[in-house]
Amino acid sequence: MSHTGMGSNLVLRIYMALFFAYMFLPLGVMLVAGFSDYSPPSITVWRGGTLRWFSELWADERMWSGLTNSLIIAVAVILLSLPMGLSGALLLSKLGGRAGGVLYAVMVSPLLTPGLIIGISTVIFWRHLGAAAGLVTAILAQSAFIASYAMLMFMARLQRLDNTLQEAALDLGATQAQAFRRITLPFLRPTVVTATVIAFLQSFENYNTTIFSIGGQHTLVTEIGARMRFGMSPMINAIGILFILVTLIGAVIWGVLRQRERKLEDLR
Amino acid sequence: MTRLTRAFGRPLALLILLFASLWILGLIAAPQVIMIEQSLWRMERPEGSAEISVRIDGLYNQLDVLALDRSAVEAEADASIRAQKLDTSDVALAALEAEIAGLEATESTPVKVYTLANFAQMGSAHFAIFLKTIVASLAVTAIALAVCYPIAFAVAKLETPQRAGMIMLALVIPYAINELLRIFAWQMILNYNGPVNALLGLFGVEPIPFLESGTGVFVAMVYAYILFMVFPLYNVLETLDSNQIEAARDLGASSWRIHTRVVIPHARPGIAVGCIMTFMLSAGSYAVPYIMTRGTAAPWFTQLIYNRFFEATNWNVGAAYALSLLVICTLFIFVMMRLLKVSLKDIAK
Amino acid sequence: MTGQTTGMEIELRRSEVRFGSFQAVQPTDLRIAPGEFFSILGPSGCGKTTLLRLLSGFLDPTAGDVLIGGKSMVGTGPSDRPTALIFQNLALFPLMSVLENVAFGLEMRGWSKVRRRARAMELLETVALTEQAGKLPAQLSGGQKQRVAIARALAVEPAVLLLDEPLSALDLKLRQHMRAELKQIQARTGITFVYITHDQGEALTMSDRIAVMNHGRIVQIGTPDEVYDHPDAAFSATFVGEMNVFDGKVAAGADGFARIDTRLGQFRATNPKRLADGATTLMFVRPERMRLLDAAGVAENRLAAVVQRRDLEGAYSTLTLQAQDQVLTVHLQHLGGADQLAGGGDAGF
Ligand SMILES: Nc1ncnc2c1ncn2[C@@H]1O[C@H](COP(=O)(O)OP(=O)(O)O)[C@@H](O)[C@H]1O
Ligand SMILES: [Mg+2]
Repeated sequence: MSHTGMGSNLVLRIYMALFFAYMFLPLGVMLVAGFSDYSPPSITVWRGGTLRWFSELWADERMWSGLTNSLIIAVAVILLSLPMGLSGALLLSKLGGRAGGVLYAVMVSPLLTPGLIIGISTVIFWRHLGAAAGLVTAILAQSAFIASYAMLMFMARLQRLDNTLQEAALDLGATQAQAFRRITLPFLRPTVVTATVIAFLQSFENYNTTIFSIGGQHTLVTEIGARMRFGMSPMINAIGILFILVTLIGAVIWGVLRQRERKLEDLR
Repeated sequence: MTRLTRAFGRPLALLILLFASLWILGLIAAPQVIMIEQSLWRMERPEGSAEISVRIDGLYNQLDVLALDRSAVEAEADASIRAQKLDTSDVALAALEAEIAGLEATESTPVKVYTLANFAQMGSAHFAIFLKTIVASLAVTAIALAVCYPIAFAVAKLETPQRAGMIMLALVIPYAINELLRIFAWQMILNYNGPVNALLGLFGVEPIPFLESGTGVFVAMVYAYILFMVFPLYNVLETLDSNQIEAARDLGASSWRIHTRVVIPHARPGIAVGCIMTFMLSAGSYAVPYIMTRGTAAPWFTQLIYNRFFEATNWNVGAAYALSLLVICTLFIFVMMRLLKVSLKDIAK
Repeated sequence: MTGQTTGMEIELRRSEVRFGSFQAVQPTDLRIAPGEFFSILGPSGCGKTTLLRLLSGFLDPTAGDVLIGGKSMVGTGPSDRPTALIFQNLALFPLMSVLENVAFGLEMRGWSKVRRRARAMELLETVALTEQAGKLPAQLSGGQKQRVAIARALAVEPAVLLLDEPLSALDLKLRQHMRAELKQIQARTGITFVYITHDQGEALTMSDRIAVMNHGRIVQIGTPDEVYDHPDAAFSATFVGEMNVFDGKVAAGADGFARIDTRLGQFRATNPKRLADGATTLMFVRPERMRLLDAAGVAENRLAAVVQRRDLEGAYSTLTLQAQDQVLTVHLQHLGGADQLAGGGDAGF
């Protein structure tokens, strides 16, 4: 690539460095402010380090109940959106032509719809049926779009499924249900794991859909949002640091598991 | 359906249909339909309520006349005639009062009326915010595209595949932390007493109210949704054969022409996805304006929607506002698909 | 052809290319005459493409100089060199029609739409593709794509056409047809062709001269006859055509001939390198130069072997012989009748 010119390459590199600085600057800020003994959170005033914000966070009842609600919602969303997404993908795999196209459009539409609209429409719909907003509506609203992610992941995997395997199983006397259980499901297993992780993260981290669909209840994230409005506690930075830590630990575990799985596959 | 049973057997096919329709009908279609319906009606005083109130007035007049007559009757000397006349006038009075009560009840019981008034409710102030939100989201989208295209191109075409993979992975790290916290960090950075202003102060510049002026919303929003632009662009540029670029250069194309004639046409699906996602997320963002302005102002349409639902509690108007936003986002998708000549299949990868 | 296109001379002066510590092209001196059909023949990974990129301007030499038409090209980009490159994978622009592909180079040179269309149609006519002008590359067959690539490169009227294994993706019949077509175009235009291939048949049939390359070094340059009949390096001997190799010692060398002692006996052979007596050497014998002799007869250059198998290849058959611990190959013209040979016999040359 010598004739892209050293000059323009240098410009690109500087640009890229700036871009990365932009991307990582907020993380640094959060780390500093979370340990700083000064409130409101600031990174220009430093009065020494402290772990005070972490202990305050530990003693915070609403944060704990928010965490519990987040976990309940996430588990329910996983249990609901994965079967729905898989069903959608299987349906599409057998449905071609116009009907397939329309169905596909409907199934991906939640990803192209602002999250708050999904939340609002769910609440309106369930009020019509006489149910008030709460954890259940939050679960249903989140599942509507998280199932779309699951559907896309399952669809991508299904496209790589060798159809002759199924035919071979049928030829050897398996029923369709048996062939599905013995051939298709095991083939989809890695995607089930990935989709579970993605669904969990999407649900746990969600704000936009949840705040519009959860009514008087709260999750960890909506509670953080509320705290940001009423008074700026450095506690929020403490949460940020915990989030980074959990993410890093999660990434490491994920990496280790992936490596183990690969080794297992190599052995086969 | 037969294809489904043939492929999976009846029980499994039924289960698949059950879950799929629960999702498509129960979670996607029905709520949208009901929301649209909700935006199209409101409770109103019944039709012709003006005439009714005129009639009620008339009846009250009659009532007064009757009452006057009755008091005249009380002056009647003959007791039996007086009693008889009083009876008839009492009956007439009671009938009249009953009629009035009935009319008054109809007049004040609202009925469900289908109307576009919920949209008209927006008024010029809210409509201005609606337009401002759209324009600002378009600007965020354009900035994100301009910022990300060189990055995606450089990483996809100028780096070795291994390094490119690592760089893209590194870009995900900031996104592992919750959206709210990332925005909050920007709030601290751009604060009136924040480090940026402190730095500017060193050069003798007066502190700039980034947050209050709306600049903060912009910076944080580009930041918050930039990844949804980088990744689609990177994915599509990665599939561009480098020989295409070299062939164009060999045939005499300048860098500019290489991009306009070869790279950008190839990147169309990625550009479409990136722009659609960024626009949709920006226009539909509640967290960024909420945190960056600390809820003091309402510069973003989503905040108006929130207020209609949870503060003013006028759900019909709220639904109308939400639907307006949805229509704009859908319109944007169609415009992008048309403009860049891509199909829905290209978009969701 | 409208414009005057004549070939230009190419010269490499101690040119070398290094990627980090890896030397892809060793210091090379090379001179290619104007209008020559020059092939570079070598195994995959030997640095052919790198050498070609050096000429086309995608790479500059780490050291040394590259001259085209007597002018140094170092620092001149591919778009400014009088060369055009046909890529190994053709690199046709998939989103442009055949016509747009061919007209691309002219468009980059600022030709008006009318003029470049007319010129592109002319070129498409010379490659018999006028019918396909409106199609996309994906709708063409392999041979048609090939011809579009040629037309696209010729459109910019290069003085040097660089071809990187352009026929490798085609099937045998088509490949032979395209060889003839390329040769014709070269004769008609008088452009200098630098043709890269790992297929010796291609190099031998088309070229005026061939450079045999191995491990980034040109090991022999010569006409096809010279390279085939008088390989002056062990590598070109074994890489170009099949060879039987004997190792031995020079017993008595004189006036271009030598007697060579091998384990299979003593042979008389040419001594192009004028090796002295006692030098260890390799002796090469082409399979088609060997004959089968009667086991009883007497002749020079004769050895004893047993026929192991016979494979009919069409015009000739390949015999596999076992001579002590060495396996030999002999090509025998096929005259019909398989019973020429049974089990054993002697061979000689
Ligand atoms: N940009 C590069 N960076 C590092 N090594 C390269 C590069 N391009 C080619 N090489 C190496 O140079 C050698 C020659 O490559 P090439 O010229 O493509 O061979 P071929 O004769 O098959 O065309 C190969 O070993 C290849 O790996
Ligand atoms: Mg090559």
